[in-house]
Amino acid sequence: MRFKTDLKNIRTFSKLTAALNSLEKIAWMRLDDDTVRLTVIPATGSQVWASLSVDLIFENYQLQSNEANNTINLELPLQPLQRALKSASGSHHANLRLTKRDGAPMLSMTIHTTTKDTSSGPGGGLPSRSGGATRHNDDAWAADDSEIFHPESLELQMKRDREKVITQDIPVRVLHPETVETIMQPRVREADVHIQMPPLLQLKAISDRFTKLALTAASSTSSATADKTPKLELQANMHGSLRLRLHTDALDITSTWNDLTHPDLDPNELTMPIEEHPSTLFKQAGPEKWATVRVDGRDWSRVLSVGRLEGRVIGCFADDHALILYVYVPHHVDGGIGSDVVTYYVSSFSP
Amino acid sequence: MVVFNFTLSEDGVAVLHDALACMFKFSDDVCLEARKDKLTLTTLNISKSAYVCYSFAANRFFSRYSFEGTPQQRDKFSCQLYIKSLLTIFRARQSGGASESRDGTSSIERCDVAIDDGDGKKSRLVARVSFRNGITASHSLPYEVKAPVHAKFNKEEASNHWTISSKTLRQLMDHFGPGIELLDINTNEDNRVVNFTCFTEKVQKRSGNDGEGNHHIVLMAITATDRYIVLKKPLHTNIAVEMDEFDDVEVEDKLHIIISVKDFRAILQHAQITSGELVTTYSNPGRPMKLSYGADGILCEFILMTIGEKDAMSQKHKAPRSSAAKAAAAPAQLDAASYRANSGTNSTNPQPIASNTAPKAKPSQHQSQDQSRHPGFEIRPQNPPPGTSRSTRSDSLFVGQYDDDQQWEPVNPEEEEEEEDNARLEWNTNSEPVRVVWS
Repeated sequence: MRFKTDLKNIRTFSKLTAALNSLEKIAWMRLDDDTVRLTVIPATGSQVWASLSVDLIFENYQLQSNEANNTINLELPLQPLQRALKSASGSHHANLRLTKRDGAPMLSMTIHTTTKDTSSGPGGGLPSRSGGATRHNDDAWAADDSEIFHPESLELQMKRDREKVITQDIPVRVLHPETVETIMQPRVREADVHIQMPPLLQLKAISDRFTKLALTAASSTSSATADKTPKLELQANMHGSLRLRLHTDALDITSTWNDLTHPDLDPNELTMPIEEHPSTLFKQAGPEKWATVRVDGRDWSRVLSVGRLEGRVIGCFADDHALILYVYVPHHVDGGIGSDVVTYYVSSFSP
Repeated sequence: MVVFNFTLSEDGVAVLHDALACMFKFSDDVCLEARKDKLTLTTLNISKSAYVCYSFAANRFFSRYSFEGTPQQRDKFSCQLYIKSLLTIFRARQSGGASESRDGTSSIERCDVAIDDGDGKKSRLVARVSFRNGITASHSLPYEVKAPVHAKFNKEEASNHWTISSKTLRQLMDHFGPGIELLDINTNEDNRVVNFTCFTEKVQKRSGNDGEGNHHIVLMAITATDRYIVLKKPLHTNIAVEMDEFDDVEVEDKLHIIISVKDFRAILQHAQITSGELVTTYSNPGRPMKLSYGADGILCEFILMTIGEKDAMSQKHKAPRSSAAKAAAAPAQLDAASYRANSGTNSTNPQPIASNTAPKAKPSQHQSQDQSRHPGFEIRPQNPPPGTSRSTRSDSLFVGQYDDDQQWEPVNPEEEEEEEDNARLEWNTNSEPVRVVWS
């Protein structure tokens, strides 16, 4: 079993890790020749299936396993991964490989980086350095530059430190194929409404506000058995509107977004004629026909944490059943939307 | 009668405050030791594994300095005070922007400090802080006349040494994750690198309120606890720094020296705002390590007890210690006081006081039992001392500095309430909002 790769788009990888980490501490990572899949399934709350093409976050990717289809399944803690990626951000070069330390499997990240010796604060004079060290410095850069071109900053005019090599070892467990074969991506019936979500930062700010309000309302009315899991109601129609509603004994507030777009369905992907698709029926029923889901305020906030990926988000509402969010991971390099999707499965609570 | 007095400029007050804030991470009280030519501040932490000593040169650091002495203490005068009270006095009032505080109303212009003592007088440290707006605040602090305890460091024995930019080292510490306790500094002559390895033998405690029952997510085949333990090990981090980056490096190959990360971080935090270069000297595991740096008129020295190899081993394997191992294990405490001869070579090392030997001998005897249980360093409370966060100019040791995406964190009302509590602490006693100054 062998896995070794260089890292690229560390920022994207890091943001994805952070988004997943807000829902669950441990993830299942499945690697094959083309795809990296990261899955988290919290005991309670929404689950996430992220599927990225290998090229998005890895390069010089090497994978070798005895399993069918050349796959490796790992279980790994997200917080250390996130921490390691943070360490790697701003580095010249970082790679990741599966290895063992003291007999225990590890994902070992090797990071080549430098420090910024900026002078600031009182007494922050630059240390006097021998001419030899500086010269070596230049040599190291010359060698580097012949192969890779890094974006250069003004810091280059100042003294550059030598490269440091940082190794971050993330504990992992290698999983048997049998352990994971029973875990299936949820199947949800055809959505009644599919809609492009408004900017998640807006949605999150308002949702969080509502959640806090609900908690405050619950604690001020002493009679109520303090509802620690405030429910928010999300509604969408096929006429460009999304509503977020908080309804308690004491208050009833709603925020509405209008003029949102509905992506076209690809008839080839459908199992039924498009005229019979639930969304078509919803559209015909007019703007007062809403698909509704009720979500837990805290869980919803964790879900919306995916907004940091800055991707396009499509919400698929199955009325009174579930909400599925498809988050398309943007390719900063080629600009196109690839097959890199993070899928959130949010179940609806009964009213 | 005035035993000694001195005057500090605005910058002097800030420097003294930073030094005390760093010291406060080690101990609650500080020993002041005044002589004709210098003022020395020292402290020893409660587990006697770390010793801090700052020396301020009388003619360089102070605007004015005069030492009279007492009939009993003609050459030097020493007393002990609470660091917290001193921090309150020397805290710069950082209201408003930087420009405003400079020429504005409430910045400190100067500070006069005097120790008043003598027969029939109350023993008090009197500090008069003069602000630019014309207000003068006088503080009177009681103190205890007490001879300081100095840690012994044998320079001859310590053959390993290196010097490096404290900023570089401080930035490298950012790569270490949470939950680590120990730092192993070791060298590899083959690769010409010095390794800084952070590790802990403790299984990381899960923090946060979403922990319970959350850990049995994906997989069922193996019991939750098994997986839990394996995956809860904290990040194991190693940083290799090329020897060429050090000045004056001379270290025994493959020598592993282990210290507390927390102490090291505290030192680097102060070092990087004080000085460019950090000088480190040590001998063998279980023997003290000295870290020092200086600026104009100031010398800062830290003596840390390193963890003995046997200590580390027994910690690692969690084996009950045999009495033989106990005897063999290096003492994890610094040798306190009265080793005058050994520290003599270092002129900056304050001389211990003979009269102090007797009372100090007693605690160190019964400490030797503790030491078998705590071969290393005791874990101190994590609360940052009040005042430190706003005085230290860069706190990124403890704060993620990479991504400003707090806005994406999930809503957590309880946490928010805590934050609000903390925010209230940001108001100082004058009810002025104190801003954290980022550099």
